[in-house]
Amino acid sequence: MAGSRSERSPMRGSRLLVVLVAAVSALVIAGCSSDGYPGDLNGMTRQPQTEVGNVLLPNENAKSSNATGSLKGDGDGLMLVYFGFTNCPDVCPTTLADLRLALEDIDPEQRDRIQVGMVTVDPQRDNAEVLNGYLGFFFPEEQFSSFITNDKAKLAEVEKIFGASHRIGKKQPDGGYDVDHSALLYAVDSDGVVEVEWPFGTTAEDMRSDIEQLLDRRADQSSS
Amino acid sequence: MNLKKPALILTAIVCCGALLAACGSDDLANEGVAVSDPWTRITAPTATTGAVYMDLESADGDRLVSASVPSGVAGKVEVHETVTNGESMDSGEMGDATEGDAMEGDAMEGGMEGDAMMGMREMKDGLELPAGEEISLEPGSYHVMLLELQAPIVEGDTIPVTLMFEKAGEVQVDAEARDAES
Repeated sequence: MAGSRSERSPMRGSRLLVVLVAAVSALVIAGCSSDGYPGDLNGMTRQPQTEVGNVLLPNENAKSSNATGSLKGDGDGLMLVYFGFTNCPDVCPTTLADLRLALEDIDPEQRDRIQVGMVTVDPQRDNAEVLNGYLGFFFPEEQFSSFITNDKAKLAEVEKIFGASHRIGKKQPDGGYDVDHSALLYAVDSDGVVEVEWPFGTTAEDMRSDIEQLLDRRADQSSS
Repeated sequence: MNLKKPALILTAIVCCGALLAACGSDDLANEGVAVSDPWTRITAPTATTGAVYMDLESADGDRLVSASVPSGVAGKVEVHETVTNGESMDSGEMGDATEGDAMEGDAMEGGMEGDAMMGMREMKDGLELPAGEEISLEPGSYHVMLLELQAPIVEGDTIPVTLMFEKAGEVQVDAEARDAES
């Protein structure tokens, strides 16, 4: 799905529209596809689905069960990956709070198969202590991974795999700065396939329903 | 026979009187700003920012200019708007982003609307409240941002927030600390 590289100038309005319509259509088709997707997922699924491969990131949460720093789910479980930063007052706390709500409503047996991993796009301020404290507020300590890397190229590589991005803003006189970032939550299975992704604003209820469906599906596949 | 002076004075008095009467009636008609359901989200222990949300409505129209909280709660308070793909708004606010630049065109190449970046913009001119329209400060949209949080906001807390409106002046509300919107 490479864009037209020869086009140096920004897309004109009508072409932009065509691309968007095409993208949305692809998503709609993906959603309607009966290719092993019996239910309707509330979130979005790319066509083709993103595969994260064997990429690893340093996991600064020593209490986590994810020792290798993998971004994949474990066994028949899922890894829910989020790109954000802890100084975020509105977007990140909202998404993580909704995710926490969603997980609280899930069967304990299913909940055990879920891992949450946050990749900080602001490693300058988000060190291990800060990020662990932050994620520990939302999730049990064995359940989350604090992905921190000061290697900008590495961070960019991982972002690109997911289609995520961020932009550090101008430094203010007091040293503070804003960070813009894409705000999706990605569900990755143990094969490294992004099964579904939830845009900002997805309700806890919708996330919970998708998670349960994906886990059920996985359990069915394992037992057959 | 000089009637002009008294006539002028009389006219002036009548005009001033009319103006005063008009001003007076305006004041009476301005019922101020209605604030409902002010709340703030509880914060992680290492978070340095917070957000206060509420619904605002002004019958005659007004503008939220600024807000403040006790210094023991936060060092700085600003009115913000969460936006998607911020570069379409006041260009230049994001400044020279030399770090973490997404490769140009990536947001579109992925082809997913949700990939768009989200960020905040300080509403330096304040938040307009059109007459009779309810404006919601809510997650993903307008919010009163608390910076330099002095201590985590925990469940059970009530944060006194002083809102400054262009016409209605100062209005104080108590924001209830919650873990979720409802």
